[in-house]
Amino acid sequence: MKKIALSVIAATAVALPIFIGENPYLIGIMISVLMMAALSSAWNILGGYAGQYSFGHAAYFGAGAYTTLILLTLYNSLNPLVCMAMGIVVASIIALITGSIVFRLRGHYFGLASIAVAEIVRLSVLNLEFTGGAQGILLSDVSLWGIDLNSKNPFYYGMLLVLVVTLSISQYLRTSKTGYYLQAIREDQDAAASLGINLAFYKNKALLISAALTSILGSLYGLYIRFIDTSAVLDLRLSIEIILTAIIGGVGTMWGPVVGALLLVPLAEMLRSNLLGDLLVKAGLVSETSGIGVFLKENLAHAHVLVYGIITVLCILYLPKGILGLFRRVK
Amino acid sequence: MIQHLLLISHVSKHFGGNVAVSDVSFAVEEKQIFGLIGPNGAGKTTLFNCITGFFPTTSGDVIFDNKKINTLRPDEVCKLGMARTWQRVKPLGSLTVLENVMVGAFSITNTTREAEIIAREQLQMVGLTDYTTKSAGSLSIGLKKKLELARVLATRPKMLLLDEICGGLNHTETDIILNIIRNIRIKGATIVFIEHDMKAVTSICDRIVVLNSGEKLAEGTPEEITNNSDVISAYLGGGHHA
Amino acid sequence: MSFLQPLLSGILTGGVYALAGMGMSLVFGVMNISNFAHGDLMMLGMYMAFFAFTLLHIDPYVSLVLIIPTAFLFGFMLEKLFINRVIHHPHQNQILLTIGLGLIMSNTALLAFTSDPKILTTTYSSSAFNLPGGISLSVPLLISFLITGVTIAILYLFLAKSRTGMALRATSQNREAAQLMGINVAKMSAIAFGIGTALAATAGALIAPTYYIHPLAGHSFLLKAFTICVLGGLGSVVGAGVGGIIIGVVEAMSSTYWSTDWKDVIVFVLFLAVLLFRPQGLFGKKGGE
Repeated sequence: MKKIALSVIAATAVALPIFIGENPYLIGIMISVLMMAALSSAWNILGGYAGQYSFGHAAYFGAGAYTTLILLTLYNSLNPLVCMAMGIVVASIIALITGSIVFRLRGHYFGLASIAVAEIVRLSVLNLEFTGGAQGILLSDVSLWGIDLNSKNPFYYGMLLVLVVTLSISQYLRTSKTGYYLQAIREDQDAAASLGINLAFYKNKALLISAALTSILGSLYGLYIRFIDTSAVLDLRLSIEIILTAIIGGVGTMWGPVVGALLLVPLAEMLRSNLLGDLLVKAGLVSETSGIGVFLKENLAHAHVLVYGIITVLCILYLPKGILGLFRRVK
Repeated sequence: MIQHLLLISHVSKHFGGNVAVSDVSFAVEEKQIFGLIGPNGAGKTTLFNCITGFFPTTSGDVIFDNKKINTLRPDEVCKLGMARTWQRVKPLGSLTVLENVMVGAFSITNTTREAEIIAREQLQMVGLTDYTTKSAGSLSIGLKKKLELARVLATRPKMLLLDEICGGLNHTETDIILNIIRNIRIKGATIVFIEHDMKAVTSICDRIVVLNSGEKLAEGTPEEITNNSDVISAYLGGGHHA
Repeated sequence: MSFLQPLLSGILTGGVYALAGMGMSLVFGVMNISNFAHGDLMMLGMYMAFFAFTLLHIDPYVSLVLIIPTAFLFGFMLEKLFINRVIHHPHQNQILLTIGLGLIMSNTALLAFTSDPKILTTTYSSSAFNLPGGISLSVPLLISFLITGVTIAILYLFLAKSRTGMALRATSQNREAAQLMGINVAKMSAIAFGIGTALAATAGALIAPTYYIHPLAGHSFLLKAFTICVLGGLGSVVGAGVGGIIIGVVEAMSSTYWSTDWKDVIVFVLFLAVLLFRPQGLFGKKGGE
């Protein structure tokens, strides 16, 4: 039963571009959905399994994006995959620094430290010249093995591939020694230590895996959009969005982040593109030129973060285990 | 020179101005069942925490199997063969009973299959086979204590430190646990017991140390201890807890 | 230029930071919650001072008389309505709740006031007090420092001598024991959060004449406030006070001798350094070990 459902989902995912490929807008949305699902799943390895909530995961996303684009801007003929690998190296270094400072402490410092590290990275990139500073980086041309990287389809499959890899790693971890250990750490760190678990080692392991996957996604994003700046790839808002997606779907479940992404990304898009505002105008409820109409047009786009805030509060208060948590016990 | 399995040598633990343990020394021999008793607040659990690496000692050494361990981390202590249970049980609540014990088993194996086999063995030994798939958080206190025992046994320890394993149990449950412990000793492990229940302690221990206000008050066989007037007055006129 | 200039300016600014940090430390001590909305509460204080000035024509420092009780009530209510419900939940959920509340606050402000920074200029905004040696101290900063000093003194007296203050300190040291002694710990949480909010709003109002006022202004203060708390020792109000001054001085020094662009980075690196070398902070009470 489960296998059939899984096959159907997989088939749909793979075949989707055939149906909506002509519509760049829809494909674009699906790429965002896949990316957010993968980001949250990667975050979930550390947050859901090990119980360590990183509030600064954007640092790894940005590390991948910036490393890749800087290298490609400097050495145009480099293979993008090599640049992605370098991105992973940079992200891993950041992860190891963070982990080695915080994971040996017993209090709840990881969340704060992760924000500090992310802000240090963001501000450094903003202030340095070779990273493009406030102007960001614009990638002129990129090619990989003759694939046309100007179209969207390659990126759809790229993001899908990373999502599949991330979910597979999650699944593998669940039934492996590392997975058991991470969950033990989440449940009770003292008990875990008394059972022979090296807390710092396993937390670092989870963080490294999570950071590497996140960095790959950042690199892909950079190649896809071709323009990055600190507000796009290193912002605290991105970190929060990743966590929120996992929470709404169900932290610690394998499919929770995917469900969360399927819900939140289209919702954010609807708000951001003023779909709601347009609908109200079309329905004749609001005149486009009236005060309210203008207000909505200017501001509803910003409202999507406000809606995120409201959803976060409601979720924590009434649905702390997320949507999937309603159906399954956290495993 | 006699090699003790565990040597506590002039161990003291201060928390700021508060002296929790003061210059305590004793030795535990292989295959002994050793009791550590004393009134509430005597420093027994603090001493356990120092022995197992959760607190550093303020002074003094803990020597286990000829290695100085007081500077080691708790997981390193476990890897050397010393395992402990907790006064307030610590089940890994969202995991099943089987998964809980498997976490313990993973300290001596790397494969999930082997861990499962070891775990099932231990569950059978403590009599929890019927609860394998239940969530650990949902068990009653007596079963949680059994689970904790099974979990540490899965680490195949040379020495087991039990912190009030009989706490909160009725007489029947206590007898069952004590029998399991006797079996564990037969299989070659050494056990150190913190207990309040004097009857349990005197019925099973070979040797007992009494702590009071952080200091060692007395040491001896169960008979010597129950007849020791200092010990009796420390417990305020009785050796028995209801 | 002698180093006295940045040192003194830093101490003055540090005083305001100390207020923000102390509010956060109090909340952490009594409720064991990291309040990620603290920066946004400061931002609300800035806007309150701004509107009191532009609409009611009240000097920002005088408007504190209005701001403090309003902020206290706001914080008290926030605690009763929202925060209280997660007091026994895992701390990650608590943090997320405060993040959500913060997002709601900052984005409502964004919608209501737009992202155009507002500027609060009083007649003395750019006045300076000139000391011998070529040192010039900004008048608004001096006044803020004085008010901060008075506020801290009042806070100290309240915590040390009043019954509620002592109950707060007891709850902070050991919640269970305090409850057993008959203290209404739920009420203590609400009061602590109210005071924390009031202190944050006060800090916001005090710096309003010298900063750009905009909805996201709180965010840079949030991490600084946490740095101050960790530097001082989580839960130690005195520590947060000292930490605030230190951070103010570090910032001023980095601005002068290195560059203003990097002053925030230096503060955050300092945060990591504290975690690396002395995680319990200067006056460490909770958490650290």
